[in-house]
Amino acid sequence: MTARPEPGAPRPWTFPTFDRRLVAGGRMLTAHLPGRALAVTSLVVDAGAVLEPSAQAGVSEIVARAMSEGAAGRDSYEFGVAGERIGATWRSSTDWDSLRVGFEVPAGELAAATQLLADAARSAEFADDVLERVLDERIDEISLDRSQPAVLASEALGSALFQAESRYAKPDGGDPETLEALQHADIRRYRDARLRRDAATLVVVGDLDGVDVDALGRTVFEGWDGDGSAASTPVVQPRDAGRRVVVVDRPGSVQSVVMMGHDGPARAVDDYVAMTTLALVLGGMFSSRLNMKLREEKGYAYGAFGGFDTRKHGGVFAARAAVQSEVTVPALEDMLAEIERVHRDGVTSEELEQARSYRAGVFPVNFAGVGSVAAGLGDVIVHGFEDDHFDALRAKILDVTLDEVNATASTRLRPDDLVTVVVGDASGFAKELDALGLGPVEIITDEQ
Amino acid sequence: MLARVSTLPTYDLRTHTLDNGLKVIVSEDRLAPVVAVNIWYDVGSRHETLGRTGFAHLFEHLMFQGSANVARGEHFALVNAAGGTLNGTTWCDRTNYYETLPSHHLATGLWLEADRMGGLLEALDQDNLDNQREVVKNEKRQTRDNQPYGSALDLLHELAYPAGHPYHHSTIGSMHDLDAAELVDARSFYSTWYAPDNASLAIVGDVDTAEAIALAERFFGSIPSKGSFPEPPSTQIAPRIGKEIRKTVQDRVPVPRAFVAYRTAPFGSAEYDAMQVATVVLGGGRGSRLYKSLVLDQQLMQPSDGIVETWPFIGGATLTISDLAAREGVAIERLETAYHQEVARLLDNLDPDELVRAKALLTSHWLHHLASVDGRADTFNQYATLLGDPRLVNDALPNVLAVTAEQVREAVDQVMRPDNRVVLTFVPAVSDEQEAAA
Repeated sequence: MTARPEPGAPRPWTFPTFDRRLVAGGRMLTAHLPGRALAVTSLVVDAGAVLEPSAQAGVSEIVARAMSEGAAGRDSYEFGVAGERIGATWRSSTDWDSLRVGFEVPAGELAAATQLLADAARSAEFADDVLERVLDERIDEISLDRSQPAVLASEALGSALFQAESRYAKPDGGDPETLEALQHADIRRYRDARLRRDAATLVVVGDLDGVDVDALGRTVFEGWDGDGSAASTPVVQPRDAGRRVVVVDRPGSVQSVVMMGHDGPARAVDDYVAMTTLALVLGGMFSSRLNMKLREEKGYAYGAFGGFDTRKHGGVFAARAAVQSEVTVPALEDMLAEIERVHRDGVTSEELEQARSYRAGVFPVNFAGVGSVAAGLGDVIVHGFEDDHFDALRAKILDVTLDEVNATASTRLRPDDLVTVVVGDASGFAKELDALGLGPVEIITDEQ
Repeated sequence: MLARVSTLPTYDLRTHTLDNGLKVIVSEDRLAPVVAVNIWYDVGSRHETLGRTGFAHLFEHLMFQGSANVARGEHFALVNAAGGTLNGTTWCDRTNYYETLPSHHLATGLWLEADRMGGLLEALDQDNLDNQREVVKNEKRQTRDNQPYGSALDLLHELAYPAGHPYHHSTIGSMHDLDAAELVDARSFYSTWYAPDNASLAIVGDVDTAEAIALAERFFGSIPSKGSFPEPPSTQIAPRIGKEIRKTVQDRVPVPRAFVAYRTAPFGSAEYDAMQVATVVLGGGRGSRLYKSLVLDQQLMQPSDGIVETWPFIGGATLTISDLAAREGVAIERLETAYHQEVARLLDNLDPDELVRAKALLTSHWLHHLASVDGRADTFNQYATLLGDPRLVNDALPNVLAVTAEQVREAVDQVMRPDNRVVLTFVPAVSDEQEAAA
């Protein structure tokens, strides 16, 4: 066998240069990626779920969906056909910090797709029958989602970590209770308040040779009302610190979904790079400690992961695995032990080197396509990053030191505040939970 | 309309077969400094023997446990440290392994693949097997046994293919067979199927073709060929089922859901291409027949972008499958009846505009699939392994775009008929309490 090879000289890589411009009073971010057959045209709107009143959780997702359900004289079906006839695929989503809607489309159809996008953003009708159906579909979808134990676990953790009136206590897509209560007028009011020129940015990524980029901007922004009230201040308070356990009892489950977590910092913190590098070692790569322990050493799970979800206004640290029911308690012990160990002792220089080289090295792989570059530009918009953000981030990753990483291990991980969630058959493990020192145990029965 | 999407790319590639039989495919793409390394072994769950179902997939896991010069756990660690991503998957007709790397690490990817192609047995031991057996059993629990509708896939295989056909069992296999797998089975499986002359290596991205072939020669060239392989189990099967097969499962599910599966001519056939168009006309996208009728107009089922799909199997016959999840309060019988009516209606009238829409979507889906170097490498190997020539990738879309309305009608008429379908229905189980109350 040939000897292990050395790498060649790296070809320089930088995040694609992008252009910021103001067209017809609207903001645009564009990146020219030559040679790509497909392009993306999308709107990133400051209408994330975190801005919703908690009692109207899920309204932003409903707005995102209703946008493509009839606009500018086309009904829902006709709008679908109009995009699909030019090979355009509609994508809409709402996360905590933004609403994103748009098309992936053959580059030659950018103008037509952007016109459809403008129609959806500015002229969607939000008729009663459409809203009724979209709401019902969404409620049914949640009931399907909630039949998956992993979804139940995430929801239980969110509501255990944050105060009831905090928006983070409910899922970003809302829940059936808030959606049932939602009035059509609420939905239209939210649309009018958040879907407007000064809250939106048009992102266009692809081979823009011969594309009149300003014309795309005018299509979307010209004559679009730019006035509106400022967004309300998000309510995201965590609950009081301290360990506790929430069990969602599902008799007959052959696995337990186990999670351990606590509230965490927002994206903008100074030690973001050190903290997320730490998370890679703990649970962000195949070779991470959680996966090596629970999967590769014990065989308890198909995989085990953990890390920080850093949102604009707050965040969550969580570790998770789906483990065979019989080993629920030992798996919890192992998960806790790994979190406590890295909190106490930090990571080794070998682990740091592995995490650093992976995270810095994977940028060219992660940003090779139009979709991922467009998503990156969306993050630039949401978090107000500078033009050189991704290249500067990569440089910081390569520079982060063992001391910096281990400092965040002791401050950002808080083993004493871990909330444990177990979704599984409680009869197999409930009695032993008390002895683990994970805090008071509450058992909820899954209603399905 | 379609003319506006007409600049279909042709993918340049070079093929080269090493003396030991390894097929090498290289395609340059200098847009980004990344390269995809992808290997398909011509072995999948179709090649498994009775009592050893799930073995091809379990074995795939063992391929990540180290080899002659790679310590346990080091395979993932080396690719990650290079800034690469990686995985492997197993399906009925093949097993694939792949990594996407910054292009200056190409040699590392090739070396790792060569080391486990030629030297797995030096690292394979009972501990690895026992550990990965438990991991795979948990994979099965996580993706099947502890999931609503999780048994659907396995049941469709059982119902649509007769006992004795190699697609009668699904890739994940049974817990019983996984428990029965022994180290000697793993060694024998490796010695039987894992050899350069049963594999295809694709290298796509920021590479020089001649250098890539030289690297392949350097790392793989000394691995001995095997020369011959056992005849895989026969895939002979009647082209149609010949009757309707129905099964209803009471399970812990939130809403009723029906899967309707039809036996279809295999991947690479004219009927398969026609069904690609038919599935999009019927159930692909918001402008499809089923979406308009069942989701928008009658509001009987949950929205889905892909209601119907055809699997790419080559073993005698493949399956076209419709996935119909009922809306809350809708009886599954009503949804199923409306569905069959829509399928029948397709035979009455097919508007040329519907073909335009379907072909435009199929074009952009294909471009999306092949946009990344890893997607392209995998597709080259798919055509090389299943159809014998990676260049057929360049014919795939033109073939689909040439399908006529009459061919769509003919394929639907032949495939989507009552005596050629399996209807598998899930309904929420009635609990003991509800039964007592009733």
